[in-house]
Amino acid sequence: MNVRAIGCSFRDAPIDLRERVAFDDAKRDLALKDLTARFGCEAVILSTCNRVEFYLAKPDGEPPPDGGIMAEFLSEHHHLPASAIRPHLYELADDAAVQHLFRVTASLDSLIVGEGQIAGQVRQSFEASRKAGATGPLLNALFPHAVKAAKLVRTKTGISQGHVSVSSVAVDYVRQVFDRFDDKTILVIGAGKMGRLTLTHLRELLPKKILVANRSPEKAIEVAAGCDGQAHPWDQLDDALIQADVVLSTTGAPEPIVSLRRFDLLSPKRSGPMVILDIAVPRDFDPRIHDGERAFLFNIDDLKRIREQTIHQRQKFIAPAEVIIEQERRKFVDDWTRRRNGPVIAQLTKDCDAKRQAVLNQLLGKLNGKLSDADRAFIEGAFRLFQNQILHGPIDALQVASREGGSASLLEAMRKLFRLNE
Amino acid sequence: MGITQFCFGLSYLTAFGLELYRPTRPGRWARLAGIFFAVAGLLAHTIFLAYHQPSPASPYGSLLLLAWVFAVFYLYGTLHREAYAAVFVLPLVLALVGLSFVFTGHGQDGSWFTGESFWGMFHGILLLLASVGITVGFLASMMYLVQARRLKMKRNPIGGMKLLSLERLERMNRRAVNLAFPLLTVGLLLGAMRLWQTPHETGGWTALKITSTVGLWLVAALLMFLRYGAHLPGRRLAQFTILVFVLMLVALIASHPFVPGETG
Repeated sequence: MNVRAIGCSFRDAPIDLRERVAFDDAKRDLALKDLTARFGCEAVILSTCNRVEFYLAKPDGEPPPDGGIMAEFLSEHHHLPASAIRPHLYELADDAAVQHLFRVTASLDSLIVGEGQIAGQVRQSFEASRKAGATGPLLNALFPHAVKAAKLVRTKTGISQGHVSVSSVAVDYVRQVFDRFDDKTILVIGAGKMGRLTLTHLRELLPKKILVANRSPEKAIEVAAGCDGQAHPWDQLDDALIQADVVLSTTGAPEPIVSLRRFDLLSPKRSGPMVILDIAVPRDFDPRIHDGERAFLFNIDDLKRIREQTIHQRQKFIAPAEVIIEQERRKFVDDWTRRRNGPVIAQLTKDCDAKRQAVLNQLLGKLNGKLSDADRAFIEGAFRLFQNQILHGPIDALQVASREGGSASLLEAMRKLFRLNE
Repeated sequence: MGITQFCFGLSYLTAFGLELYRPTRPGRWARLAGIFFAVAGLLAHTIFLAYHQPSPASPYGSLLLLAWVFAVFYLYGTLHREAYAAVFVLPLVLALVGLSFVFTGHGQDGSWFTGESFWGMFHGILLLLASVGITVGFLASMMYLVQARRLKMKRNPIGGMKLLSLERLERMNRRAVNLAFPLLTVGLLLGAMRLWQTPHETGGWTALKITSTVGLWLVAALLMFLRYGAHLPGRRLAQFTILVFVLMLVALIASHPFVPGETG
């Protein structure tokens, strides 16, 4: 098969090394050109926050570059000593490389198993290599199969179900209460970092209005400007709470800013339920406000608990996902072997068929009139069986060698031995 | 004709069994088998209704027709992979078909177009359509209460069965009841006029069917007031809609004065 996966990931390499050996688009294109020119191999570079990997292939002939060579290559491109890189590089060949790529694409090797980004990143990396002319028959077959296998894993198991970021879980809760958002008002209280991330997700719902209330009017204006919202005076927070359908609260206040009593007083002035995402620590809203009717209040612990549950649930899908990956790996290797050896085996079989038929015709011509139809059929069957038994050994050896990555010399030997090129 | 309620009832029951089995062994075959049995049940149900033409004004006919409408809803939902279709709609279909067993013979083998006067038939059809609306409201309310409980308990928002949002369920409930109430009102007025014209055929104004239907209308009117006048929150409205549905069932299965042999 002649394919290698060489790289480093969050499992073995520290983040400062991963950052230094990462490729942006420009560096990647340059590296791809260099790889193909220098080593004459097919190449795909996968560079994400959690891993930098090279997939190198040579359909025929000698194997692609190994870990030592790639450490040197990285050293040249990133101006780091190769000795600092090499200990963190893993190197997988042939079947193991195929399996590794399939596992990576299906997000079984991710920091958070089942995360959805990696399949897209693999696809993009492959496309970039293809456009740069760095891929060939082997990687052109391998990467689409990896993406297909990842899709199978996603659809046949629940490994991608649920969200694993606090802000996504918060939005999931909002979606369970509201269906449309073009008539909804979101109120942002405070301006914490986590709040901004959640607000980014909430903005994707395209609400009618975003109000931002902050003790500091300047801060409120700044946050409002960043989300196409309106700054709202802090001393009129109750008015904003009456208008709001979704509240995102993330202040650094030491005491709750909305007590049950305060909420009870403004509640009759409101219509419809309110979702409160209280991700402040200490909490901004009295937890007793959550009554499942007027208000649905979710604090940071609730959101983190759901995230942990989702991560835990995904673990049980790993075993079925690994089975799918193994099936797809075998399928790919068999398909590739058939594809590589198919023409040679077809030619060999055709030649032998022609020779067998010629000998048979001669024999049957000499025995003409002395054989019954049953005798003729028996002789023809015996010759076919003989041919199959003779060819079984070489064909089987070729298939095994292809799976093990060393079929090129055997293919050449078969061509010569059976005079297939003539 | 060899098709009985038992045939399609059993088909729906098998589809329901397969729906319950599916979460334990996810796969295409259980889903396809479930759809097969649901389609077979619906086909048998349709042929049965077309052949017997039970009166929509009879308990037997109205329950079977209502079950047919919701069997169509179920099939639509399950084809669109809506998990709630199996959990909420199919048991309702089974319950309606099961109830119709009790009333077998009451209003059976009539004719949709010739057996009763036009106004009698129109009255029956209006009440049947109102029943469809109330039943949709009931299903939306059941789902609303389940969803509201899940949110109150702070369960995983996308774990377990996928349900519609509270807002959508509330809207579904509102629209269904808004549609059902005028139909119920007109149907009731037509019934009152017929009762006025032929009081000797109907068992009088105190017959269970009449009192239960009037009771249903009053509670439905109260539901409209609570929604638009008192602005009751969604959970209370859902509970009230369920009460309206129960009253509707009572009205449906109460003996009907316009069906021969069931008066008084």
